Amino acid sequence: MLPSESSMRITSRKKTIAFAVTLGVLVAAVALVLNVSWIVLNWREVVPLFLGVLFFLFIIIGVILNTIFLVREVRRNEQQDSFLNAVTHELKTPITSIRLYLETLQQRDLDDNQRREFYQVMLEDSQRLMGTVEQVLRAARVTQKNVPLSKTDIDVGPLVQDAVDLARVRHHLAPDAVRWELDGLKAERLSVEGDREELSAVLSNVLDNAVKYSPRHPHIKVEVVTPDLETVQIKVQDNGIGIPAGELKRVFKRFYRVLTPSAAQVKGSGLGLFIVRAVIQRHGGKTWVESEGNGKGTTVTIELPRYQS
Amino acid sequence: MSGRILLVEDEEHLARGLKFNLEAEGYATSVAGDGETALELLLKQKEPFDLLVLDIMLPGKDGFAVATELRKANQFIPLLMLTARGRPDDVLKGFAAGADDYLPKPFNLQILLARIQSLLRRRDWARTLPDESSHDAVQPASVKSNDGSLEFEVFTFAGRQVNFATLELRANGKIYRLTLMEAELLRHLIHSGGKVVSRKQILEQVWNLHEDTDTRAIDNFIVRLRKYIEDDPSRPKHLLTVRGIGYRFLANIR
Repeated sequence: MLPSESSMRITSRKKTIAFAVTLGVLVAAVALVLNVSWIVLNWREVVPLFLGVLFFLFIIIGVILNTIFLVREVRRNEQQDSFLNAVTHELKTPITSIRLYLETLQQRDLDDNQRREFYQVMLEDSQRLMGTVEQVLRAARVTQKNVPLSKTDIDVGPLVQDAVDLARVRHHLAPDAVRWELDGLKAERLSVEGDREELSAVLSNVLDNAVKYSPRHPHIKVEVVTPDLETVQIKVQDNGIGIPAGELKRVFKRFYRVLTPSAAQVKGSGLGLFIVRAVIQRHGGKTWVESEGNGKGTTVTIELPRYQS
Repeated sequence: MSGRILLVEDEEHLARGLKFNLEAEGYATSVAGDGETALELLLKQKEPFDLLVLDIMLPGKDGFAVATELRKANQFIPLLMLTARGRPDDVLKGFAAGADDYLPKPFNLQILLARIQSLLRRRDWARTLPDESSHDAVQPASVKSNDGSLEFEVFTFAGRQVNFATLELRANGKIYRLTLMEAELLRHLIHSGGKVVSRKQILEQVWNLHEDTDTRAIDNFIVRLRKYIEDDPSRPKHLLTVRGIGYRFLANIR
């Protein structure tokens, strides 16, 4: 989402939430006052007093719960709306581009070089389209528990190497933009048990984020470390815009996107880290992010159990 | 046809493909990757562009904000919005921000080129038209339909004059520049000859939107038109609201 529009939407959302909360507090206060007056009026008679207080308590709890759910619902709606906008954009842009180039090829006389260049552009667009479609499908799939993972024994080193290579190509990165190193134990084979395709997608998502949210010159450090004999950690550290402390947990929520001005300029669906966490959880691992705050970069850590063969 | 076009598009592939096609049509085309750059070029450096093609989802300032800012700064360059967001509310928001035309992505190349041509043609008409707006020549309130060619009509009422070809409105000694859609809406209301026009009719006939949208975006346009043509916009005498239905236009105040 984009700043001017998002800020407009945030103000309208804040108004709705403020209204819901004010109404909730007012109704709860009225119920409380009625409750107290009931106690004052009926304090001699045990049965009406007891029943009345109980009844009022129910009302007050109900009002509070209702307000909480309402506020949550407003937030969720807002997130889905921004997700829909982002995905619409991500789907329609490559289609528009492919169509434009096809029509150009159809209607104009072009020399061979131009023709080849246009084919290349269309190929890249179709890959981008495929990427978006896969991301949306994967997000739908990870929420379904009964879809089995095809687990195999995976060597972590090459897995990370492939993801790094892919990111370099996809984002046209300078060779020194991504530094990547294995922990001291280079000779040892570090393996995990998992679904290769899902884990590659996870690493791609994390690396894509690192590039996307490092607007100037991305310097990304990828490390594989072994804190103990049972676990492997993959750490991806960037020098980007960072994440405010209050948002560190929320970034894993589906459709959630941080709305600081610098983050709002980056296009995205709000699915990336949701997929990361869901896939890693299904592999028995953990994911967390660390950031010193705005402009201080972000580190994403993925922890997986080591596979003992 | 010739002309200088500024294309504001952050998607590199689209920008490249569009630039190629516009240049093949003979337009000198420059590309700006974001809204700030476009504003800089148009407002600060006053580059003489003839047409602006503007994407909405841009990094930083979005297309709506760019359009609004341009119009506020009295930059009335013909503006075509090009965007992935084709819902009626988005379209109307675009027009309200000051767009002259709006094309949802994915678009047909031929239609895009035709629309660009029509916007530039209007500019040429505006240039070649003689200045036929001497202020005291107040004509009786009637629609001049120059043998059917509605493009060149001038309508005068209550000391105000609308020129639908140049998109100029003269009132109280001032000249206002209307956007194409403001002019079309006003023209539609004038043509209805005092009859009530519903919001739905306006959506269909002025904006070509056929969906059942319960939108009040038209109201914004009415508010703006009133600012131009009413002595007291809060107590309109020409552009009247008919509650629950729509609007009607009265040239003569009874």
